[in-house]
Amino acid sequence: MEALTGWWDDFFWGSKVVAEVFIASLGLTILFGLIGAAAKLSNSKIAKKLAAAYTVIFRGTPEILVILLFYFGLAITITSIAKIFDPTVKFIDIPPFWSGTFAISLIVGSYATETFRGAFLGVNQGSIEAAKALGMSQLQLFIYIRIPEMWRIALPPFGNHMLSLVKDTALISVIGLNETLFVAKQAITVTGKPFTMYIFVGIIYLGFSSIITLTVIAVERYGKRTTTVK
Amino acid sequence: MNIDLNLIVESIPEMLSGFGTTLYLLIISGFLGLLLAILLLLMRISGKFYLDFPAQIYIYIFRGTPILVQIFIIYYGLPQFEYIQDSMFWIILREPTGCAILALTLNTGAYVSEILRGGVLAVNRDLIEAGSALGMNARHRFIYITTPIAIRIALPSYSNDVVSLLKSTALASTITITDMTGIARTIVSKTYAPYEIFVSLAIVYMICTFIIQKFFGFIENKMSNYTKIDSDNDK
Repeated sequence: MEALTGWWDDFFWGSKVVAEVFIASLGLTILFGLIGAAAKLSNSKIAKKLAAAYTVIFRGTPEILVILLFYFGLAITITSIAKIFDPTVKFIDIPPFWSGTFAISLIVGSYATETFRGAFLGVNQGSIEAAKALGMSQLQLFIYIRIPEMWRIALPPFGNHMLSLVKDTALISVIGLNETLFVAKQAITVTGKPFTMYIFVGIIYLGFSSIITLTVIAVERYGKRTTTVK
Repeated sequence: MNIDLNLIVESIPEMLSGFGTTLYLLIISGFLGLLLAILLLLMRISGKFYLDFPAQIYIYIFRGTPILVQIFIIYYGLPQFEYIQDSMFWIILREPTGCAILALTLNTGAYVSEILRGGVLAVNRDLIEAGSALGMNARHRFIYITTPIAIRIALPSYSNDVVSLLKSTALASTITITDMTGIARTIVSKTYAPYEIFVSLAIVYMICTFIIQKFFGFIENKMSNYTKIDSDNDK
């Protein structure tokens, strides 16, 4: 434990990066998941095919490969685009934060697509008919009936997706994101105590997972407050 | 930006030479992980607090931390203690492959035991009651009624977990193992052609995923053969 002296603040900033990646990728994951679910549920054949390809590709490829591809690939693509406008550009570096966040959001978004699709299909048909009988428009139906029913169904599996997001953050350290695992590597070169440092990283991630799990349980309970049959 | 087709053609056989390592990691840790999962499952459903609680803690820890951290703790972390270097486990722990298999086994064991538990809990109570009415004792009920039905229920989720184990084997490349991903990363650092290499490797992984899913789909089909005939007769 004394090996950690002097590294507390570094680990704190590392944890802050983990939290930032989590929040940014959570938003993107929900966005990709909703777009994917909308495409899968739409009547358009092309949209359905595209969404199917999206889920197959990102669920069948190792996370690390996607992260590496985005990091190195985006840098090359953007550099070559920039060269068209300004030939003097040598190389544009993509911050690992954004390429990593984007990569893990796309991966977990492909899982969220299936979850959201199932949840939209799970909305009670009776409620929809009742809403139509009350003369609700499609938009009202979506906002007041589909969304409130859908998130309650989607929440338990989505909680697992959130856990994957936070755990995938550790993979972004491979492309040099200065999160806790990256901090631990630096600390090890100085202190020579790999076990202590990596265990501490594990504890930090366990803390994040626990917070998410407890939050999901609390939100689930909040969601059930009106539907519980007495 | 132009895609170098020659490079793809040249590098695919090179990457496939790591396929054996990937498959080895997948099969060994998949098998050992399943054994560990069954042990954890039995501990969890034993109904005895001193068995259930440690299993719960184990599952909580291994599901709550990234597998990359687990791999690093085992590969870089454990040699910090000298008595581990002197112990008999050092034969496994000094090799990166041994460490990767150990980490993957411990990780997948935690996930699979939860999948199996879901299967066991989903078995219809009536069937078990019918078993006790027929005079079967608890062990017979578990072996002849719960197990076959639970396997059938758990199989679809289990196949998903095998796929995520396949994806986790790619992380072995971070501790110097030359599996498919490890070789691809070496080629990319030499040629700097991420699109060609990584996309073709992604396709290889997707084919593996597809084969795993088809394989488990086939087993599922085989196992639920007689339930299908039953439901046909009902009609």
